[in-house]
Amino acid sequence: MAPHHTAPLSQVPSDLADRTDPADPAALSAPRAPAGPSPAVERFVEVSVRLTGFDAFDLHATGLAALYRATALDQVGPEAFERFLAELAAVGGDPGRLEGETSRDIARALAHLWYLGVWPQLARSVHTALGREKANVPFTVSPEAYTEGLVWRTFHGHPAGAKAPGFGTWSEPPPGAPPVPRPAAPGRPVAGPGKEREEETAGDAV
Amino acid sequence: MSTSPRAGGQPTGGHRTGTPHLRRYDVIVVGAGLSGTLVAKRLGDQGWRVLVLEAGTRTLDTWPGHLDAMNTYYAASAKVPNSPYRANTAAPSPDVLDLVGLPGGGFRANGYLVQNGALPYGSDYLRANGGTVMHWLGLTPRMHPEDFAVRRTFGYGRDWPIGYADLEGHYRAAERELGVAGDAQEQSEAIGLPFPEGYVYPMHRIPRSYIDDVVAAKLDGVPVRESPDAAETTLRVVTTPHARNSVPDARYDGGRGYRPVGAAGLPNYGERCVGNASCVPICPVQAKYNPLKTQATWDSRVTLVTKAVVSRVLADGNGRALGVEYQAYDDPAAPVHTTHTAEADIVVLAAHAIENARLLLVSRLAGHSGQVGRNLMDHPVLLTWGLMRHPVGPFRGPASTSGVESFRTGPARRRRAPFRIEIANWGWSWPASSPGSDVARLLGITGDSGQPRGRGVFGEELRRALGEGIGRQFSLQFELEQEAESRNRVTVDPRHRDRLGNPRPVITYDLSDRLKRGLAAAKAVSDRIFGLLEAEDHTAYGPGPFSPGYFRFEGQDLSFNGAGHGAGTHVMGDSRDSSVVDHWQRCWDHPNLYAVGCGSMPSIGTSNPSLTMAALALRSSEQIHRELTGLHRPVTVRTGGGTGAGDLSPHVPGPAPSPAPARGPSPHSHPHQEVRP
Repeated sequence: MAPHHTAPLSQVPSDLADRTDPADPAALSAPRAPAGPSPAVERFVEVSVRLTGFDAFDLHATGLAALYRATALDQVGPEAFERFLAELAAVGGDPGRLEGETSRDIARALAHLWYLGVWPQLARSVHTALGREKANVPFTVSPEAYTEGLVWRTFHGHPAGAKAPGFGTWSEPPPGAPPVPRPAAPGRPVAGPGKEREEETAGDAV
Repeated sequence: MSTSPRAGGQPTGGHRTGTPHLRRYDVIVVGAGLSGTLVAKRLGDQGWRVLVLEAGTRTLDTWPGHLDAMNTYYAASAKVPNSPYRANTAAPSPDVLDLVGLPGGGFRANGYLVQNGALPYGSDYLRANGGTVMHWLGLTPRMHPEDFAVRRTFGYGRDWPIGYADLEGHYRAAERELGVAGDAQEQSEAIGLPFPEGYVYPMHRIPRSYIDDVVAAKLDGVPVRESPDAAETTLRVVTTPHARNSVPDARYDGGRGYRPVGAAGLPNYGERCVGNASCVPICPVQAKYNPLKTQATWDSRVTLVTKAVVSRVLADGNGRALGVEYQAYDDPAAPVHTTHTAEADIVVLAAHAIENARLLLVSRLAGHSGQVGRNLMDHPVLLTWGLMRHPVGPFRGPASTSGVESFRTGPARRRRAPFRIEIANWGWSWPASSPGSDVARLLGITGDSGQPRGRGVFGEELRRALGEGIGRQFSLQFELEQEAESRNRVTVDPRHRDRLGNPRPVITYDLSDRLKRGLAAAKAVSDRIFGLLEAEDHTAYGPGPFSPGYFRFEGQDLSFNGAGHGAGTHVMGDSRDSSVVDHWQRCWDHPNLYAVGCGSMPSIGTSNPSLTMAALALRSSEQIHRELTGLHRPVTVRTGGGTGAGDLSPHVPGPAPSPAPARGPSPHSHPHQEVRP
């Protein structure tokens, strides 16, 4: 996967929102500079690297970094989101050391979002503490968010229903698995009663 | 009624869509699922004018509609079988998410089906063009010969009035129609299925998964006992036949070979399975058979009218079906309907076992035997799951490519239900909603948001833990035969109605003790298999919201799921006093009313039933053709005789000797008598 070569992030529409000032309508029609993601998205990806264990290249390559950041901002509000970033910075960027339950639940939610494309239900106490006025229900952020979920890559898989690996690939050992003897597929026609069975005539299906 | 198809385009087939264009048809088919589609295909090809009335929408039979379903599936929170298909309040479908287990055991049923049984009927179905087979797995094992005579042979359930030999030719016809990939010789040797000499399936078998090979290396040839006093059973991993595109077998059909049928609505696509690993709920490339592929070859004499909910079958005082009453609506979200009638010489109900029974009950038809709605069956599924010692590559390929068939047959059936073991290729997706649940668990996210959450792990530790765990996930699915019991039934209750005012199905369901013994035996066999595999068993059954099928039996915790294989509700038999339909799936009480589908089956063995259902539909099509031919030759007998006394229409049915008064493109270009196969 090398989307940087084929589709610069500057052309990814979902990135647009973070490079334009919503207060400035002229920015929407202004010629787009062939720049990378906005500093805010870059910062979000840096944090996400620590949350997910995937590097920045992998995260940018999903094409969803800006959408995920916008989702988080929308779900918890800018204040809680900035507080989360600040608290995370204060513990050296290691989400495992976050102590505040609100920031910790935001960390859980963001990792969940990256791995599955689904914004999860927040802890009820956090939902209350944030004073959220939206329903505390999980949702898939977009159809692409599901197919770009990182979880499939943890075991060298592909998202169920997308990025199909090809006919018969499921027969091969996955990385790290030993080969096992495979009985030869017979592929013989049904023999009649009392007749010697014919030997293989045609190739196996695999 | 309009005389021309509604604007909005035609699907790929030659058939019409929109509104009925004739006053009267030769055949009305209720339901455009697998059975109805096959019946319409056969009869249309033979020159009969067929009206297919489908309660749901037909958004799926165009490629943009298919892509919309894909996106709906991607975005669904729970990727259950009905998740790609949009809800329809005019023709509601049951959903597996309707069932919720209670903290202390027991269950609550929300949604379309009203349930009042001791245990839940755990299966869904889909009311949309293409039917439930849109989200089937696509496995096509045949029933075993001994499955047809369980009462005579083993003393339980009900027997078929026909046997395997009567159906064998239709099994082959169904395997052609659905496009089956398999190894007939292996099926013959390992299971004892009789095939004609030299038979091969249309396509070579679907390649076995790596998981299959790992299991086979440890299990093949090993004898096990399901209990200390039981006889030994030898394990063997056997490839499963699929209605899924594989490599065509050049030897098929006497050397004529087979051309795989690709996607409906997109040419030259889907002619090979590419391993999307989402057969249930939707095959992205449509390499798996669905009825839309057959509909694409429907003759122009077939008219498909969707968003037409049949509310009643109309019959005269002599028991002759006259036609149907149906409710047409435009918007599935805010249904307002108009009521219409359609007439035909023969009416075929093909609306699903539960819907067929519901329609017969609402119409107060076929009631002589008292069996309508009774004998409801499914394949209760026991899931077991664990971790293998090394990565096995789960979530790849079709959901199951092989199984263990050794427990399907034999004298043990006298005391406990037999079962078929599917080796699952998709990890813990069914038993534990993996991989989503694995992510949530490692992050400390509990199912109940009110409970304190774990601290969770992040970063590389999270990534590594997920990879190591999910990559070793393994599970087995035991499909048990449920026997016909008259107490398991569908009824209707005027107090429970849907948005269009149609009575909803009321389900009373339970498992017999012999079935519970089968589940316990299956668990014992699972324990042995996990031991042989040296797998870490994680199977656990207990009450809770996600275990509506939990129960205790003889001190043991067990839990079952539905397989989506509803059957038995208009049971077939050899006497009008004890069964609803005869062996042609024709109602004993109504000679021109057929009820086709799994609802006709007196027993369902341990095989996934769609292939058998398709074989039955093809067989019934032959009889319907014969009856129509008889009715229409010569036409003067029909118009002058008494049998047509109850007709609502003066229209002379059938092929007219001269240019017909009926409107339509070419309803009579092929006189029926000339197309007798």
